[in-house]
Amino acid sequence: MPDELLSRSFEVRGRDFEKAGEASTEIKSLLKALEIDPDVIRRTVVVAFEAEMNVVMYADQGTVSFVVTDDDIGIRVADRGPGIPDLDLALQEGWSTATDEMREMGFGFGMGLPNIRRNSDSFTVESQVGEGTVISSRINLDGVA
Amino acid sequence: MADIEPVEYAHGFRICDEACDGCLACMRGCPTHAIRVRHGKASVRAELCIDCGSCLRACPRSAIVATTRTLEEFAHFSYKVAIPSPVLFGQFPREVRPEHIVQGLLAAGFDAVWDYGIDLGLTTRAIADYVDDWEGPRPLVNMNCPVIIRLIQVSYPRMVDQLLQMQPPRELAGREIKARYSRELGLPPERIAAIYVTPCQARTISIIQPAEGGSSWLDGTVGIPQVYNAILEEARRASDAGEQPTAPSLVRSSGMLRWATPRAFPYALRRHRYLAVTGLPNVIRVFDDVERGKLKDIDFLECYACWAGCGNGNLTVDNVYVGQAKLQTMMAELPPADPETQAEIERRFPLEEFALEFPFAPRVHPNAGSLRERVRRVNEAETVLEVLPGYDCGLCGAPACRVLARDVAAGEALASDCVLLSPRRLAELRRERPQAS
Repeated sequence: MPDELLSRSFEVRGRDFEKAGEASTEIKSLLKALEIDPDVIRRTVVVAFEAEMNVVMYADQGTVSFVVTDDDIGIRVADRGPGIPDLDLALQEGWSTATDEMREMGFGFGMGLPNIRRNSDSFTVESQVGEGTVISSRINLDGVA
Repeated sequence: MADIEPVEYAHGFRICDEACDGCLACMRGCPTHAIRVRHGKASVRAELCIDCGSCLRACPRSAIVATTRTLEEFAHFSYKVAIPSPVLFGQFPREVRPEHIVQGLLAAGFDAVWDYGIDLGLTTRAIADYVDDWEGPRPLVNMNCPVIIRLIQVSYPRMVDQLLQMQPPRELAGREIKARYSRELGLPPERIAAIYVTPCQARTISIIQPAEGGSSWLDGTVGIPQVYNAILEEARRASDAGEQPTAPSLVRSSGMLRWATPRAFPYALRRHRYLAVTGLPNVIRVFDDVERGKLKDIDFLECYACWAGCGNGNLTVDNVYVGQAKLQTMMAELPPADPETQAEIERRFPLEEFALEFPFAPRVHPNAGSLRERVRRVNEAETVLEVLPGYDCGLCGAPACRVLARDVAAGEALASDCVLLSPRRLAELRRERPQAS
């Protein structure tokens, strides 16, 4: 394992739409302060934001962890929540269990997990129905940072 | 990142050290935290400055001045063509008609005044096509406010692809002016000056150093205040002499004047969801929402750094509300489009090149150091921030405690620059600015 040069974690509360997106905004500020390549920032923020919104929309509580190593950036989001019964279905573009209310706020178009996967260089999701979900994503720095 | 050449960022204003008394007003007004006040004088970090002009407005001693030119500085050109911003036509008392304004520009020393409504119309059409055909991330953002482009390059790198990757209309005008007059007068293009009559200093910088890194077809700008009196005098002279103006109006449609308002494309973009946002703090709030994924179903954002749009630029003369009211009245009396402009748009549209020389890209910070060094700075800044008081008083010379913490970590300031941590700094301030204590 490469050294962790920097790590931070942020608590996210379920259904707190007022504060939704704050963890990803913090991560964006950190990456900008680190003067990371803008495209890596963009991809990391998409991953962090979609995963954070999943916690806000569906779970009770979650933690967004962020690490920087010499080689890559890691985002890990673990929540206590309902879990995902069918992961294959959830990874299909457009599949969503969002309520009308969530959709009115501009979320829940079934692009969350597919977007996370598309913007990650490696990606895993583990879920236990009734317990929670853990999403892990790595984004390579490829020497660009 | 390491092999990118450091770029010297030019700016459309300068700070006069003799007049600056270190009062902190400009630093507090700067939206990108680009200003520091050290040793009693303000200075700007060129790579963070987006040329919004907030500091010019904020300075109570007029120590920050826009670097526009006077018309005399273009004297070495054989033929000088004015491109009047549509804002200019709303700046005068009602009895000064567009014909008088054109005549006044000629009296001020220009050899010709460009029929700019055509380039504006061409651009309106190109924007409508671009938005209609766009399949990438939304919302798209307009490219005719140079400050908005720079804000995205500096603070919202994720959004650069959402900028309309297009030439602003003044560049179309510059290219056409060079081609037409060198053909008609038999002069080489470099002897012909295309000069934009500008409502803001940001347009000046967009000509000296275009945001995408290309080169401009224009030769410079003069600010509206520099031609204002000449136009007013010419209009008064003509009316005292009972003369009818001989110059053409150049204002034939409301579509042209609409470019001077914050909502320039209501007709061209009528099938799209379209928001107009003015004032940098409001634009920043909306861009934050875009980054947080909240405005995905909006197609287009028309944004201007100046509150109420270009009519409130820092090189305008009239009160912004009075100017807007006059433009609205003029627009109500004009058709949305006119046959003369439309015919010329039809002719030029297929021949026109709207694409930029280079695409807009995020602004890269030079000399960032290795990743480990940057991580060390971020960690050190957080440690420093813990001991700072968090009042963001600015007396250290940085606009906020977290900015001082970053400067300390970069070796550019000391934690003891904070007055609450060090009596030394307080004593220094009393010496540098005795009138404040």
